[in-house]
Amino acid sequence: MRFQLSFKSGKPVYLQLVDQVKAAAASGAMRPGEPLPSIRPLAEELRVNRNTVAKAYAELESQRVIETVAGKGCFIRATSSPFKKDVRLKLLASEIDEAVVEAHHLQIARPDFLRLAEDRFDAFQDKRARAGNP
Amino acid sequence: MKLMSPETPVIEIKNLVRRYGRTDAVNGLNLRVEAGRCYGFFGRNGAGKTTTIKCLLNLLRPTTGEAKLFGLSPARHEVSVKSRLAYVPDQVAFYPWMTVRDTLDYCASFRAHWNRDTEGALVGQFRLDTRQKTSHLSKGQRTQLALITAICPEPELLVLDEPTSGLDPIVRREFIQTVIGAYQEGEPGRRTVFVSTHLISEFEGLIDEFTIIEAGRDVLTLQADVARERYQKIYARFETEPAGIDLAGARVLRQQGREIELVVNGNAGDVLDRLKARSPETLTAEALSLEEIFVTTLQPEGAVA
Repeated sequence: MRFQLSFKSGKPVYLQLVDQVKAAAASGAMRPGEPLPSIRPLAEELRVNRNTVAKAYAELESQRVIETVAGKGCFIRATSSPFKKDVRLKLLASEIDEAVVEAHHLQIARPDFLRLAEDRFDAFQDKRARAGNP
Repeated sequence: MKLMSPETPVIEIKNLVRRYGRTDAVNGLNLRVEAGRCYGFFGRNGAGKTTTIKCLLNLLRPTTGEAKLFGLSPARHEVSVKSRLAYVPDQVAFYPWMTVRDTLDYCASFRAHWNRDTEGALVGQFRLDTRQKTSHLSKGQRTQLALITAICPEPELLVLDEPTSGLDPIVRREFIQTVIGAYQEGEPGRRTVFVSTHLISEFEGLIDEFTIIEAGRDVLTLQADVARERYQKIYARFETEPAGIDLAGARVLRQQGREIELVVNGNAGDVLDRLKARSPETLTAEALSLEEIFVTTLQPEGAVA
């Protein structure tokens, strides 16, 4: 797992780590059961505060993306969400709203937007297939 | 010794004033560092950083105001305060006739606790020859040795005053990685770092809160994540020159024909909406780095970044 941090995105650094682990899990770059790097070497490598990495891992754990095994470290969980489907849809809707607003300002019409969404699904599916994790 | 409650800040400075003759080196400074933080203390040369640190370490007495460590006065409780902290100054000096080994043993003799494993690991990592006399060490090696003597006692507070100035990029990188790795090992909640520097970008990832000091006063104190969210640089390009556009609340860095470059502080959404209303060809916003925030804060209004 390689992380790319940017201090220019305006997004808190711990959230960048959270999002990248979630994207890696969704694309199959990291599979269920695979370990995440431990906090100290990762913090040293990225030259960020250990608290930042610890906070990201705590957030991933509360979102049930990873699990901590005492004495062994953190591992990617098999996909499962503690929320019911309607709650999950609502959570996703707010993310989509942001994309819809952006699309409006970038003058991307609805059919193009929907086609792009399909393309992105395909892209992730391809990545997962190539990662040998259909 | 008074016990420290969890809320007692590790460093608390209230209205600190320190004069040298007629010069006010520090002139009404306030700041507060909670336990477990990595706190940046940023200022230009002569802003009062080192004078402040000297007041904390009881190397100087405040003219007025107070500087407390662990809730205690560093003058009245000098020994108990100093046993809980370590300090790496800008200019490191050791007894020149001592070897690296002698120096480590000498420093350890003043400490109640000294982690020999950490010492061995860091000496190896920095490839220091323990038989070498300290007078034969390079500036980088002297700083590395100072860092080892600061980390091995596992103090609650690590005070770094311009620690990486004058070091080569590889040594700087190792220095910061050592602070993250070896120092924060163990109980991160009881490992506080206070770093004064003007090489801000090096410490960007490590800092979680900072104060900018100018002319002896704190001019800005923020959490790093909040700062990066609040300060944004916006670039917009329009099809034609946007006549009469309302840029209130933004600082214009450059406005030239069809292009505008701005810095906003906390009102990015509002300014972006006004720009979007003019249908720009291109519109981007990115966070300022802590270094850029430092420059923006200290630059006179209207100056170009």
